[in-house]
Parts: sequence; C-alpha cells; structure tokens
Amino acid sequence: MTLSILIFLPIAFMILVALLPSSLNHTFKYITLAVSIVQLIIAGFMYTHFNHSLPGVFNEQTFQFVEKHSWINLNLGTLGKLQIQYFLGVDGISIGLLILSAFVMAIAALASWEIKTNEKGYFCLFLLLNAAIMGVFSALDFFLFYIFYELMLLPLYFLIGIWGGARREYASIKFFLYTLLGSVFMLLVIIGLYFSVKDPVTGAHTFDMLSMMNPANYVQGSVFDIHSSTLLFGVSPRLLAFAVLFIAFAIKVPIVPLHTWLPDAHVEAPTPISIILAGVLLKIGGYGIIRICMGIFPDGAIYFSWVIGLIGVVSIIYGAMSALAASDLKRLIAYSSVSHMGFVLLGIASLTVEGISGAMFQMISHGVLSSMLFFLVGVIYNRVHDRDIANFRGLYSQMPTYSVFVFIAFFASLGLPGFSAFIAEAFSLIGAFNSNSIPRWMAVVGAVGILLGAAYFLWTLQRMFFGKTRFKGGEEWQSQLSDVNTREIIALSPMAVVALVLGIMPFLFFDMSNSAMVELVNSTLKSGSLHLETLSKLLN
Amino acid sequence: MSSIIIIAITAIVVLYLGLYKVKSALLPVSVLGLLGAAASLVCVWDKNISYFNDMLVFNNYAIAFSILLIATTILIFLLSGNYFEKISSNVAEYYTILLFALSGGVVMVSFQNMSMLFIGIEILSVSMYIMAGIKKTDSASNEAALKYFLMGSFATGILLFGIALIYGATGSFNLVQIAGKASEQPLLFYAGVIFMLIAMTFKVGVAPFHFWTPDVYQGAPTLVSSFMSTVVKTAGFAAFLRLFGSAFTSVPAIWTVTLVVMVVLTLLIGNITAAFQQNVKRMLAYSSISHAGYMLIAILLLGQASPNAILIYSVAYSIASVASFGVMVAVKEQKGSDDLSAFNGLGRTNPVLAFVMTVALCSLGGIPLTAGFFGKFYIFGVAIAANYTWLIAIAVLMAAVGIYYYFKVIIAMYLRESENSESIQLSLAYKFVLIFCIMITILLGIAPALITNIL
Repeated sequence: MTLSILIFLPIAFMILVALLPSSLNHTFKYITLAVSIVQLIIAGFMYTHFNHSLPGVFNEQTFQFVEKHSWINLNLGTLGKLQIQYFLGVDGISIGLLILSAFVMAIAALASWEIKTNEKGYFCLFLLLNAAIMGVFSALDFFLFYIFYELMLLPLYFLIGIWGGARREYASIKFFLYTLLGSVFMLLVIIGLYFSVKDPVTGAHTFDMLSMMNPANYVQGSVFDIHSSTLLFGVSPRLLAFAVLFIAFAIKVPIVPLHTWLPDAHVEAPTPISIILAGVLLKIGGYGIIRICMGIFPDGAIYFSWVIGLIGVVSIIYGAMSALAASDLKRLIAYSSVSHMGFVLLGIASLTVEGISGAMFQMISHGVLSSMLFFLVGVIYNRVHDRDIANFRGLYSQMPTYSVFVFIAFFASLGLPGFSAFIAEAFSLIGAFNSNSIPRWMAVVGAVGILLGAAYFLWTLQRMFFGKTRFKGGEEWQSQLSDVNTREIIALSPMAVVALVLGIMPFLFFDMSNSAMVELVNSTLKSGSLHLETLSKLLN
Repeated sequence: MSSIIIIAITAIVVLYLGLYKVKSALLPVSVLGLLGAAASLVCVWDKNISYFNDMLVFNNYAIAFSILLIATTILIFLLSGNYFEKISSNVAEYYTILLFALSGGVVMVSFQNMSMLFIGIEILSVSMYIMAGIKKTDSASNEAALKYFLMGSFATGILLFGIALIYGATGSFNLVQIAGKASEQPLLFYAGVIFMLIAMTFKVGVAPFHFWTPDVYQGAPTLVSSFMSTVVKTAGFAAFLRLFGSAFTSVPAIWTVTLVVMVVLTLLIGNITAAFQQNVKRMLAYSSISHAGYMLIAILLLGQASPNAILIYSVAYSIASVASFGVMVAVKEQKGSDDLSAFNGLGRTNPVLAFVMTVALCSLGGIPLTAGFFGKFYIFGVAIAANYTWLIAIAVLMAAVGIYYYFKVIIAMYLRESENSESIQLSLAYKFVLIFCIMITILLGIAPALITNIL
C-alpha cells in the first residue's frame, strides 16, 4: 500500500484543490507543501524499512513494497488475452530516485510561492505531475510505466506554457513534441514486446517488465525472441528495439544532439518547474535506460556501449562549452545539466559496477544540486526579473547569505571533494577507465569536462559576485535585491546539507543500491554476450 | 427490426409535428423514439434474429453498432437545442431527415444481403445530400451538396456495378453464400470485389476518394458535419467490415494490397493536410479522414479482433467528435467564426468548455487515460501481431503529427489572450452532453474492459 499512497495522495489532494472555491487561493500552496512533506515522510519510512540485501532488478521475489493487481483484461480473440497489471515495487535502482523525487517536489512546492496567477490551475497540475513522477519510478508493468510517463507530459506542458516566460509557447510545444516523438515509438516496442512475452504462470501475454527480462518467457519465433532470425529493416529487431527505447529515454536525459528542448524549456519555465525538470525529469531518462533498456535488452547494451559512451562524452564536452558561452545564468545552468548528465551515460556505457553506481549517484547528486542552482537563479529573478550574467557585479557584498549558498552550490557542482558530485563523477570515470566495453580515451576526455565545469562556474562567480557592486538597474535594483528570506533559507539549507552529507558519507546511498548494481551488471554482461553470440551465429 | 420501424415511425411523427407547428415537442419526441429503438435492440441481445430470409440479421455485432449510432444521434440532437431554429424556420425536417439517415445506418450495420446494403447506403446517402445543402441561401452549402451528390451518386453506381458482378459470379446476394462460391468465377468475382472496395472507401472518405469530405464538412451546418463524421462514418465502417469480413475473406490477396496503399495515403494526406489548417472545422474534417485511415487498418487485418477494434475506435472517436464539434458550435455562436483564433483565451473565459475540448482532443490524438488511446492501442496491437510493423511505424508517426495539430487548438485556448472576455452561456442539455462525453471518454480510458469484451 505504501507506494499506492505515495502516488494517489497527490491525486486526492488535486481533487480537493479543484473543488475548493477560488477565494481560498492562498491555502493551495500550503496544501501542496503539506502533501510533499507527507510524501517525504513516507519516503523516509521506506528508506528505513528497505532491506539492503535484496537485489531486486530481475526477480520479483526480491522487490520490496510490491503491489500487484490485475487492472485491464482485454480479449483479443485469436491473439489471446491482453493482461495489464497494476504492478508496483521498488529495488536498489528506484528507491534512491523515489526519495529524491519526494525531496525535490517538496523544494519545488516551496519555490511555488512565486506563482501569483491562476493558483488553482497551477497547483492542480503540480499535484498531478507529482503523482505521475512517483508512478514512473515505481511501476513495474511496462504499460503502467508508459501511462505514467505520458501523464507526466501533459501537466508539464501546461505548467511551462501557461506560467512560463516570454517565449513559453515555443518552449512548451518543443518540449512536448521532442518527448512525444520518443514515446510514440516506445509504444511500438512495448506492443512488440507484449506479443513476444508470455507470463510463465498464466500463459497469457503480459506487459510485466520482469517477465520481459527473462529470455525463457519469450514465445518461440516472435519478433523479439533471441533465437528468431527475422530482420526488421535489415537489422536485428532486438537491437533496433534497444536503439528506439534508448533514443526515447535519451531525449529526456538529454543527449547531444537531442538536447535543444532543454535550454529553452528551462529558460522559459517558472522556477519550481525548472527545479522539477532538472531535479527529477532528466533522471527518468537515466532510470529508463538502466531499468528498461539494459534490463530487457542486455545484448543491445553491450552492442551499443561504444556509441552510448561517445554520446556521453560529447554531451559532457558540448554541454560545458555551451555553458561557457551562455550569457543567461539560467541557460548556463541548463547547459551544465547537459554536461553533468553526460557522466550518467558514460557510467552506464562502462558496464561496470563502479560505473553504473557512479551513474546512479550522479543522478541523485545532480538532482539535488541542480534543484539548488535553479532555486538560486529564481531568487534573483524574482527580485529584479533579470538574470543576465553581465547585468550583475559584486553581488557578494549586496547579498552575503545568498552568495554563500551560491558558493556551496557552485563548488559542489564543479566536483569539489567532500561534495556529492565529486564522488559521482569519480566513480563514473573509474568505471569508464576499468571498462572492457569502452576505450580509455573516453574517460580521459570525460575528465576534461570536469575541468571545463570548473571554468564556467568559477568564471561566473568572478563575474557576478566579486568586485565592486554594480547593477544594470542601478539604485532601484539595489533596493530590490534583498538577501534571502526565511522561506528561501529553509528551502536551500536542506539541499546544501544533503549534497555535503552524500559527499562525506556516500555509503548512505551505495549500501542501498549496491546489491542491485552487482546483480544488474553481472547479469547484463552474462546474458548480453550470450545473446549477441546467438545473434551473430544466426546472421552468418 | 423493430428498431428500424420505431425510428422510421418517429421520423414520420416528427414530420407531422412540424406540420402542426409544435416545435417544442420535436426534440422530446425524437429522443423518446430513439430511446425506444435502443431499448428494443437491447432486448434482442444474444438472440441472433434474422428477418426476411436472412436479408437482415441482428446479431450482437449489428446490435452493438446500432446502439452506438442511436446513442450518438441522441447526443447530437440534445446539442441541437435551438441550433437548427437559427438556420431555418422548418426545424422538423432536420430531425426527420437525420432520423431517416439513422434508420439507413441501422440497416447498413445489420444487412446480410447485398441488396439491403445498397438500400441502407442509399437511405443514408440521400438524406445526407439533402442535409449538406440545407442552408439554401449559402453558396458554400450548395457547393457542398452538389459535390457530395455528384461524387456520391457516381460511387453508388460503382457499388451497384460491383454487386451486379458479384451476383454474376456467385448467383447470390447473401453474404454467406457468396463466401462459399467465391472461387467459381474468379475474374468476375475479383472485379466485383475491387468495385465494391472503391465504393465503400468512397463512402467512408478514404484517400484517394476523400476529396468531398473537407468541403462537405465545412459547407454543412456544424452539427450536421458532426453527424456525418460520427454516425455516417461509423455505419460505413461497420458495413465495410461486415461485408469484407464475411463475404470476401477467402480472397484477401486481391484487395489487401490496394487497401494497404489506401491506408498509407489516407494517413499521410489526412494528417499532414490537417496540420496546415487554420480553420478548426476544416482541421477536424481532415482529421476525420485520418481517423478513417486508422480504422481501415482494422479492416485490413480481418480477424476475430477486428470487430472489437472497430467498435472501440468508433465509440472513442464518436464521443470525442461530438464533444469537440459541440464546443465548436458554442464558440462559433459567440465569436461568429470557427477559425483557430476564435479559440484564443477560451481557457480563461470558459474553463469548462476549454477543458471539454482539451479532453476530447486528447482522446482524438490518442493520449493515454482517454478512450482514444485504447482505440489506437488496440488497432496497433492487432497490426503488430500480424507483422505489419512498417505500416504501424507510419501510423505512429502520423499519430504524433495528429497530436501536433490538436495541440494547436489547446495552445490557442490556454496560451493566447482573447480580445473579449465574455463567457459563453450554455443550456443545461448542452452542458450535460459535453460533460457526459468527457466522462465516458475518461472512464473508458481508465477501464476499457467495459466495452472491449462485448463482441
């Protein structure tokens, strides 16, 4: 029941907010915050009750907080029965992201104080988004996953499109179409998988992800059967399916060259939505690649590891270069996200326990740090409605407490030892160095990305915070740029603390995920290379 | 059978009511008659009754589609409120002609004999020619009627020719007997099949025989267009499937290739042209062409799952279309236009209307948790199982294009500012229909099993 409560609590309160009269406008933000805090408490409960020794990943027995009910049963006549389940559960891969989501949503709720127009619509959509995010990380039925995945898209589209900045219309439709294009093709793979896989117990076709991960459940001669020699468009259907799923998720991560929605969406979105985008949404891409692409198509993960690694490295360098060139502070941080998420891909491509653990840790660490960075940008933007780097100078003497938070966030993000990002990037790089599947130079080039990261963060600090106080808006800005207030300190401090704690005690996370990672990597390498061997035999 | 009689009698009664100027009774009498017809159908569920030496067979397939047609008509009638009165003073003839058209539709979904198919199609088509041109003083309406009539009668001729050829080849009008004798005179038979295929695809508005659709939809009064795009289309597809599913299953090789080409053309032309439209009504007309393309996929893959697939798709599509046309009528009444710009700022001035439109368009676009998603999902699923992967890849791509143009309306409603901020007043029946439609759309999106296991 725990996971269902986590998912449906926001929906219940969304209905409440929709029914309350508009005269209670001011209470909606408190309701939303209260929902997020309750979710955070539930997440904490799950953390304390999570059994570290159970790996999960492939075996339903070792998943925790499992809920499994039959949901839709359609009779397809000669094609058998369509069996869709309401199947939830967490393991070492998803628990960390679930807790991160609850945390980020609470921060985003605190940042939503800035929303002043049409609060009812905003908070309804916000709560719907919250429910969809929780659902994505806990769904174990592919169909259910897809529903939550799409359900996330609509509220985000409206939240950016209605409450966004000047070019919101362009940014929201671009974001929507990019993601949609990926997900409609994902639907094809889902249907193909459905017809290839049978539930070993009931004998009906199923959308159960865990059944899809076991090669024994595939129907002989079906599209995605390992022993089938049919070709789709001249390539093996399994490899094609991996590529399609990978692109669908990689658009979310995002990868260069499919990243162009991200800077636009971030720049135009209101602060809380930027926080959710960077803090949670990008992680769904990484999560999907690890859980679904690797889990179901391990052969593809090995076959494409070189390409994935290359994409990761390109994203790291290209994102960092673009951040160096950005003149808008929010755009700079958006590009830094592209760069940091590149490490996730690099770690995944390495196919080593260190690398993938590093990738997971990078997702958690980046979730916290990018939320903090976007929150910090929002602080200035709310006060003077400007965030061009060139328009600010000497902010340190104007807003000392704020600047301290900025220093923490910047140094943590550029990979200073002691903060979470350092551990994450180090592990990804170690994994890449030790990897058999990608060449060493990728790790070396990735390391250069850290250097570039230091460059743009430090240069920004120098330009905006040091020197004599001078603003474009002159006296007027000086009076408006007050230091952070209590609400902002309450929101910022936990993020700084989490970044520090995870940096010093990374085992808080690693202990939780380690058994899952070992299981995932070993099994991927083993069954993946086995499948590839079968495949090459079939094709020759 | 009793349902056809009830509908026809209701139509005549309504005509007389119009003669005696009892305008207020027209709507209640029509709706009551339709409810009676639906009830008489429910009573014979699972009974498989045939009439007149198997001319008409009311099996569950026929009953399910008949009820869908009747329900859609009731919803459209409830929307009409005083819509028809604004166009003309002779309101009764609208109800009468639409009721006659509906009775033709019921014949079309329950025929077992080619002659009944022809009669059904003709009753429906002739009524629709009149409805398309009913705005006598409007030149667009006249053009639509003329175009529809000329092309439609040409297609009828082809249909009749096809029936004659098949009769020549098999010596029978009965679907079951035709299926049994398909191989006796192959040449005549194949030619007949192709002729009938062309006629049926014309009637449901599939490319390359779609040219009448946009002009007719745009020229006709909006509620009549909604009738055409729901009842007429559903009846057409149900008849199409019934004909090909029972009579021509033995020779799929003859017509599947043609049909595949038509599906691809329809999907491409319907969706891509719709994406360039600035007028919402015309956009919906093109989108209805594209929906015909998706439904055609189910016919292409004749199998046990096809009737269900067509039923689910038509339920989802009909309900969403009624809702979206209903919103469009309300907007046009206030703004005097159904261009995209008329929808600007609707989200602020009329949140309920905008919400209804959003759900309806999401369903038409196939967004999950709406009925339209399951319609598409089911059809794609059946097609993938039959190894039509490349066809579905095109269909999915076109579905994405579809979402793009449906969202143009949603963007206009929520992200643009409107010039005037008056809200639109709606009658109770109007609100009921709109809310009912989206409730059903969402309900079927969450629990599709309610209708999927019917057939």
